[in-house]
Amino acid sequence: MTTNVPVIDTHAHHAPEAGGTNYLNNRSGFWSWAGTLDHKRIGLMYLVGVSIAFLCGGLFALLVRLHLWEPKGMLFDNAQYNQIFTLHGAFMVFLFVIPAIPGSLGNMVLPLMLGAKDVALPRLNLLSFYLWLTGAVLATLAIVLGGFDTGWTFYTPYSLYTQQAVVTIGLAIFVLGFSSIFTGLNFIVTVHKLRAPGLTWFRMPLFVWALYATSLLQVLATPVLGITVLLVAFERLYHIGIFDPRLGGDPVLFEHFFWFYSHPAVYIMVLPAFGIISELVSVHSRKPLFGYKLIAFSSLAIAIISFLVWGHHMFTSGQSTYAMFAFSFLTFFVAIPTAIKEFSWVATIWKGSIALNSPMLYTLAFLIIFAIGGLTGVILGALNVDIHLHDTYFVVAHFHYVMMGSIALAFFAGLHHWWPKMFGVMYDEFLAKIACAIIFIGFNATFLPQFIMGSRGMPRRYATYVPDYAPYHAASTVGVIILTVGIGMMVFYLVASLFQGKKAMQNQWGGVTLDWLCPTPPPLENFDVPPKVVHEVYDYSTLDYQSMQTPVR
Amino acid sequence: MFALLTQDPARTPGHIENPAPPLAVDTYGQLPKLASTFDHVDGLFYFTYIVCIFFFVVIVGVIAVSVVLYRRKTWDQPALSNVTHNTPLEVVWTVIPLIIVMVMFAWGFKGSLDMTNVPEAASRNLYKATAKQWNWTFTYPNGQQSFGEVWVEVDKPVAFATESTDVLHAFYLPQMRVKRDVIPGRSQVVWFEPKEVGDYHLFCAEYCGNDHSKMYAQLHVVSAEEFAKKPWDKWDDSTPAAAAKSGESLYKQLCASCHSVNGIPGVGPSWKGLFTKNADGTFTGRQREVLVGGQKQTITVDDAYIIESIKTPMAKIVAEEPYNRGGMSAFDNIEDRKIAGLIQYMKSLAEAK
Ligand code: HEC
Ligand SMILES: [Cu+2]
Ligand SMILES: [Cu+2]
Repeated sequence: MTTNVPVIDTHAHHAPEAGGTNYLNNRSGFWSWAGTLDHKRIGLMYLVGVSIAFLCGGLFALLVRLHLWEPKGMLFDNAQYNQIFTLHGAFMVFLFVIPAIPGSLGNMVLPLMLGAKDVALPRLNLLSFYLWLTGAVLATLAIVLGGFDTGWTFYTPYSLYTQQAVVTIGLAIFVLGFSSIFTGLNFIVTVHKLRAPGLTWFRMPLFVWALYATSLLQVLATPVLGITVLLVAFERLYHIGIFDPRLGGDPVLFEHFFWFYSHPAVYIMVLPAFGIISELVSVHSRKPLFGYKLIAFSSLAIAIISFLVWGHHMFTSGQSTYAMFAFSFLTFFVAIPTAIKEFSWVATIWKGSIALNSPMLYTLAFLIIFAIGGLTGVILGALNVDIHLHDTYFVVAHFHYVMMGSIALAFFAGLHHWWPKMFGVMYDEFLAKIACAIIFIGFNATFLPQFIMGSRGMPRRYATYVPDYAPYHAASTVGVIILTVGIGMMVFYLVASLFQGKKAMQNQWGGVTLDWLCPTPPPLENFDVPPKVVHEVYDYSTLDYQSMQTPVR
Repeated sequence: MFALLTQDPARTPGHIENPAPPLAVDTYGQLPKLASTFDHVDGLFYFTYIVCIFFFVVIVGVIAVSVVLYRRKTWDQPALSNVTHNTPLEVVWTVIPLIIVMVMFAWGFKGSLDMTNVPEAASRNLYKATAKQWNWTFTYPNGQQSFGEVWVEVDKPVAFATESTDVLHAFYLPQMRVKRDVIPGRSQVVWFEPKEVGDYHLFCAEYCGNDHSKMYAQLHVVSAEEFAKKPWDKWDDSTPAAAAKSGESLYKQLCASCHSVNGIPGVGPSWKGLFTKNADGTFTGRQREVLVGGQKQTITVDDAYIIESIKTPMAKIVAEEPYNRGGMSAFDNIEDRKIAGLIQYMKSLAEAK
């Protein structure tokens, strides 16, 4: 090892802790997990949790789509359908999309990337996880207590009048909000305080930048959601008259509060995905990221502007002309940093050394799907066009392209990328590539028809519909079945790899950020020798090719 | 807990029973055929669409070419280039999209002004659209009413003052490119100028509970001669049987989503057994426990109680679970003869003693 690489030796005279233990096998037993303060174990517990939430949410989605096979509905009556689509939205948004990447991959990788032993506040980190778990239990309890049928947006006054478990699910969201805030706080402190010597701000990997920007949003925006659900609960229990028009309240005020959180929340969800893609595009093209600083700053720019565009969810609510003007203008404006990111990723691939392995395939799928998701967002930003498209399947398709197609795909990409790091084993690459293709096809088959029927006026949240839209609904349902097959396959080979996967390499993909320079899987405190960074980020001239061929211990 | 896979066949159907004929599609095959004057919506939609397709093709094209040209052939192959900046390129791809979106913004804003500023001619032709769970009531400029369908004159600007008596709804006419949230406690006016004769879908686009998807109405755009015949004004109550029949059709439009007539409980109590028929052809109302200001009382159902239940439902609330929390919003402007028709219909359900 020469002195100009980060001072860690990944393969040769690495001194394993007693008997080559790593974070997975250094301790065992229930409490070694349930009481762990290790960011990697907490990350894994999150991974299991959010995956279960995702599969539940997915099951609800499947039921929704099967029901809509016929215009009159196949499976449920309207009231049941309304509960199922609400459950789908609430589980996916609050239990999966928001916490998934920061909680699982973020927890796992952030300290590694910073060269730290752990996050700054390990106890708070464990508390975040238990709050998430409490939220999940409360959400499930709400189903048992009768379910809820308000849609994940809980618009008043319907959410005040419906005789269902709205308070329980409100409480669940309140608790989940704290989980999110604590994780954000933790990551902010960690990034400020625990960067390895030499790891300047502009040497930080972009995943770290993305998590940092996300954390700022989590800390600043989530309290508004907390207060809002609390107000809804008070309104239901004590009739104080803040949202209820019968008591002189203003239901539109709720929409403002709700979207003041939930628009930034869109970026709480998507920025970590951007971070993952930035990492993966670079590693699997073996090329430094194009426009690193611009991407880093655009994350922050997005974080700031995202607080000022919430009104674009309410263009049909009868806002004043000035409000419409400002919200539409800023909405178009926020498209620019987002476009810059997409262009930069594509420019990174150009003239790279592109490895078509499964993480990269998921990444490429992301780039295509996110292009569609982002561009259709531009269509919705135009005031007059949005008046026609608002609350139709066009919007449904748009945000699924962003939330499911982009965020979940980025999550899958990251999962495939760091899987060998986390577990020291490789999944079946062949199956992984096939599953990726199936997911890509299934996803587009599900949501492309929704753009068409949406632009033709099919309203969202409909348990039944006029027969005009039947062919598109049928196509969409077929799509979801394909998608389910793909996801089922993915779950299968990932789980199977834990039992009979081949050993992974120390540095499976040839990354040069610190997460690939610590032992695989990492030992309890990550680095045997505290690392020092002397290189610019993504400098592949420093890649130690041998580590790509050294199997894990 | 909801019971999975148990559609109750006895419940009133949860779908739209007689929708307007399928909507036509415009020449480009994407949007429904425009039937109003808001052509700027279509103009900007297709403009943006083409711009999006252009960028999409560029992005996917570059990805595809890169994958083909720069695929890693040996595992240790380095990248061909390590460039991380190209200032001219970065300026271009920031500035050009910025200009394009600003054009879209201005175009869209201008269009929205057209849609929100109600012209004089439209406000002189002002209808009222009252939304409630889960039906639409339309009041014509002359004060007459129709339910679940509404007639307007072609080529004549028309405005709708929207009102909700309970929760949020949205007034959506896809082929007119008109949508506006209907917010309880606020009256908001939308307008459009129908350009083509035909029958159009009117959807509720904001989620409003159980039968949201059934909250449907038809917009009939008719010629001036046709309009002069007042096709909505066809209430027949010449005989008790005819009144009951008219009442039944009104029941289907306004009340069926909450009240069954076969004894199955719904959002509201079933109307079965409200009255029984005596041998002499008169009717006796059932005994009903109701809450008046929270106090329990037992009353006998009669015409006055029914009328009160329709116009001010909160005055006497059915005391039985789960109805004792109210849940029916007032139908305070149905004409008396129509209420009489409804009552006639309720009585026609009565079984002989
Ligand atoms: C949104 C659901 C809903 C709709 C629509 C609705 N109702 Fe009701 N209705 C209720 C509920 C809930 C109650 C019981 C609470 C109460 O007494 O106000 C009720 C009670 C009644 C009662 C008293 C019944 C009894 O058994 O004592 C009458 C009469 C009535 N409704 C008539 C009508 C008529 C006529 C219409 C249509 C024009 C209608 N309702 C539409 C929900 C509805
Ligand atoms: Cu938004
Ligand atoms: Cu509705």
